[in-house]
Amino acid sequence: MSEHIVDVGKRHIKEINEEIQDACAQGKKVRVINTLSRHNLGIGLPDGAEVSFEGSVGYYCGGLNVGATIDIERNCGWALGEGMSKGMITVGGRAGMSCGAAMIGGTIHVKGDAGPRCGVAMKGGNIVVEGKIGYQSGFMAHAGKIIALGGAGESCADALWQGEVWVAGEVESLGVDVNVVEPTAEEVAEVDKILEPIGLVDSSRDWRKMISGQRLWYFESRDASAWLMI
Amino acid sequence: MCGIAGRILNAPGKVGNDLVELMDAQEHRGADSTGFAVYGIPRDTGYVLRGMGFDKSRMDADLEAFRAVLKEHKADMIADPRIVTDAHKHYCFRIEISDPADLAAWVRDADDLSGQIEIQSCGRSLEIIKDTGGAEEVAAKHGVREMIGTHGLGHARLATESSVLPNASHPFWARPFSDVAIVHNGQITDYFTWRDRLQRMGYRFLTENDSELIAVWVSDQMKAGLTMAQALKKSITSIDGVFTYMIATPQGIGFAKDRFAMKPLVVIDQNGELAMATEEQAVRRVFADECDVINYDGPSLTGIWGVGNQKVAA
Repeated sequence: MSEHIVDVGKRHIKEINEEIQDACAQGKKVRVINTLSRHNLGIGLPDGAEVSFEGSVGYYCGGLNVGATIDIERNCGWALGEGMSKGMITVGGRAGMSCGAAMIGGTIHVKGDAGPRCGVAMKGGNIVVEGKIGYQSGFMAHAGKIIALGGAGESCADALWQGEVWVAGEVESLGVDVNVVEPTAEEVAEVDKILEPIGLVDSSRDWRKMISGQRLWYFESRDASAWLMI
Repeated sequence: MCGIAGRILNAPGKVGNDLVELMDAQEHRGADSTGFAVYGIPRDTGYVLRGMGFDKSRMDADLEAFRAVLKEHKADMIADPRIVTDAHKHYCFRIEISDPADLAAWVRDADDLSGQIEIQSCGRSLEIIKDTGGAEEVAAKHGVREMIGTHGLGHARLATESSVLPNASHPFWARPFSDVAIVHNGQITDYFTWRDRLQRMGYRFLTENDSELIAVWVSDQMKAGLTMAQALKKSITSIDGVFTYMIATPQGIGFAKDRFAMKPLVVIDQNGELAMATEEQAVRRVFADECDVINYDGPSLTGIWGVGNQKVAA
């Protein structure tokens, strides 16, 4: 697989993304350089593509990914992999706010910390964060798993739907309508199956599994105070 | 959605140029108007005023009336006013004046002319340049890139609350406190209530813009004895709405973020030389090499950066 290098700089984003798409269509591996934290890099990348970004990228990198393997050397801004359905995104550093927002499939792996509202409204897939997940992570996640190995910030798993938030380490505080449950051995094995391909299995972890308390699924007037908390 | 930025240098330099770069990179966040607050080399006496008149055909009469008020307060212009006009009806001015006997009293009287001519900044070192248009356009019109100073703020405005005119755009001066300016990204929801309270205390607001409140609110808290750090913290529970704002004084720049942390702030700090902005791609215009970026993305955060590595009293 030959490699194609895309130089970002100050060029128009449409021109950059078209160059990336063309190279992917020709079956080339793509390396994107001089990224300068620009937004919207590598949107809607096709199944089977391999794209790596040197340095740091801005907002929405890897959004609407339909099966590409994406590697970001350092940090990314808001909403990495927003709405992605398939594929793998790896971030070497830190992920900004709303990492994996509304994603429906695939895996995001963040080696550093993730910002607030990690996995907001996600509808499937997995997010693995080796560091800490920020304030209000998992907010209204419909499905899928957020797995944090280095703790969680305030208001963790706020207003979850049917998503799950797994945290090893300290949780600063819980959000509204969250139940912390003891995971079964089978459930831990499922999480380990997600962690295994990226070499992060550790049997000594003390997991906290957070699921919805289901009180917010239907409005009951006695729960009005909990609704007002949001 | 607006874009804000700040810049601090360790020694006086081309802060205007850097602010233009920071705002040019964020022009997509709001291209209605762009504004800059530049802190130049402070003068020992006298003030620099920046402002606008609403109708350039009345300019001579406006300036004459303005000068008459100055003289009533034992001050005068100490150089010819610098005027900038273009195809728009409004004009912008820069005027240097000697010290009025009582600054607040003079500002109050000068504001009686605010239907014609309006002061948008007053300071020993502060100059606020704001106009309609994008960063490059405003910078070229007013020579912002050439402005020398130690620190400053920038703002790209997407107007949601009030008119698209230079006076309704940011940065806002904390009328009548000299050398204080703010930029704000967000919406203040209880500004009308707060503004009413402050007006009863004698403060004057010249626009319908919600952000004008913040500058005066923080300055009033400091006048009442709070440090800037205390005032910033207090604003988070006192002012309702969505905000990330930065406030600048001759000593430095402070920021505060609301309880829901919806508006971002990223900072690069290299040995006290700082660039702050809404978006990381903007600070990378100033620091192009890969370096550590601090994300202030949690809720209820405040902070202060001093100019020239000064520690600002907490």
